[in-house]
Amino acid sequence: MTDIIIEFGPSQSIGALREAAYRLIGDVSCQIDTVDGRHVCRFIPKTALAGEADEEAIRTRFLDLVTDENLREKVAAETAGARDVILALAFGALAREREASGSG
Amino acid sequence: MAGFRDAAASAPTTDLQLLPLRFERLRHDRYFVSNVVGEGMLLNREQLERLVSLELSPGNGLYERAFEKLLIAVKGQSSQLQLLAMRLRSRMAFLQQPTALHIFVVTLRCEHSCPYCQVSRSSVDRDRFDMSEDTATRALRIALAAPAPTIKIEFQGGEPLLNFPRIQQIVEAARRDAPDGKKLEFVIASNLALLTDAVLDFCRTHSILVSTSLDGPVDLHNRNRPRPGGNSHQLAVEGIKRAQAVLGRDRVGALMTTTEASLDRVEDIIDEYLRLDLDGIFLRPLSPYGFAVKTKQFDKYGGREVLKFYERGLRYILEVNKNGRPFPEFYASLLLKRLLTDVPIGYIGLRSPAGIGLGALVYNYDGKVFASDEGRMLAEMGDRTFELGDVARDDYPSLILSDKLIGLVGGSLAQCSPECASCAF
Repeated sequence: MTDIIIEFGPSQSIGALREAAYRLIGDVSCQIDTVDGRHVCRFIPKTALAGEADEEAIRTRFLDLVTDENLREKVAAETAGARDVILALAFGALAREREASGSG
Repeated sequence: MAGFRDAAASAPTTDLQLLPLRFERLRHDRYFVSNVVGEGMLLNREQLERLVSLELSPGNGLYERAFEKLLIAVKGQSSQLQLLAMRLRSRMAFLQQPTALHIFVVTLRCEHSCPYCQVSRSSVDRDRFDMSEDTATRALRIALAAPAPTIKIEFQGGEPLLNFPRIQQIVEAARRDAPDGKKLEFVIASNLALLTDAVLDFCRTHSILVSTSLDGPVDLHNRNRPRPGGNSHQLAVEGIKRAQAVLGRDRVGALMTTTEASLDRVEDIIDEYLRLDLDGIFLRPLSPYGFAVKTKQFDKYGGREVLKFYERGLRYILEVNKNGRPFPEFYASLLLKRLLTDVPIGYIGLRSPAGIGLGALVYNYDGKVFASDEGRMLAEMGDRTFELGDVARDDYPSLILSDKLIGLVGGSLAQCSPECASCAF
């Protein structure tokens, strides 16, 4: 069974690679090593691949997942402040309601 | 929402702020994008990129949709954030009212011998498997100490009517001892084989709901639910009709359990519920507990068969509704309410954190207290993970604030689980 290897440069977040690899866990196992700042993702298929088309499909799927995860990281970073405000508004009010009702 | 659209129309794009969002790729160029409370819309990749980069212009449609779905806000304005906070608070309101459900297993004895029994019923030894008066008194003290303004006390078994005096004791004591302002609801989950006029009178006097088991038409039901005399269906149907007449149609519900024999009978099962004028059905697969595992009933079909059964049933129910008979499939109703509204749903299994302890406590016949009904089923199989304590030595705070329950609740947080943490649905 041939391993599939995909490399990423140092600017790629390893967290996004890990999240993307987890989403493929049903089909392939993934080992991520960082060598000289480059992230090397080695995929081991759980069942034998039919050919190059299957290998390419896994490669494409992983790259799409990494793209999505990168976008999720960007959104999470840019909206962290708003998320904290929303949570504070939501649960701060819950605490006040409990205090007001004397059940806290 | 009109107010937010007006705000959007006058806002220069440089003053926009992206709000927290999640997304999931449905297929190559199709994304479901949702806000903090799970309300969302479909976008292609180019639209998603424009949204995240705030490259939006009034009048191009995406700008207005993003405002309406609370995915963007005008910098410095708090209205959008406050609205999201209010909706989030509403969805999580169940956390404010622990513990609303209290299940009393008044006996583990049962006169049925269902091979799929998930609670591992017993058929002998009243002394060993019935809840004692003292245990009931202590359990009730714990239940009444729960902060929830309304508590539901549910009697389960085995067959709870085999220990009806204990039910009477608990109901009367609860009415007498409940703190001022505390509302009480009662449910007896019974196969109705032992239903008597005295039981019905008591249920009417104390506004007790009746929940029973009905697996479908006579041949299927009796095959699934054997008892001496082979008349489980007849007794259940007679019981349902009598209870409807005495208590009211809306005070009687039924649950079905899907066995291998049910799989190609979903229309027959639904028709039986319609024939008995029941107000809906819960198409429920077997759970892997008790005799359902021991007798290998649980292994007789898989997820694929259940989904096929469920889909066929749901299609049939939609036709029934289209033809003018309001008849919900309760699980679909729960899921739709969860997806489409901000109403907090009380269903223990669809919460995060899970309803263990915070949503329900189970007082077993022997005084052991469990965090969920499934927890006591597991305990009968030797796994005591969800056993929190004992009514003989615990009170409400010691159970709810125990390290064990806090650990279990923490472990149930979907918000902290892989993939669930970023799930857009």
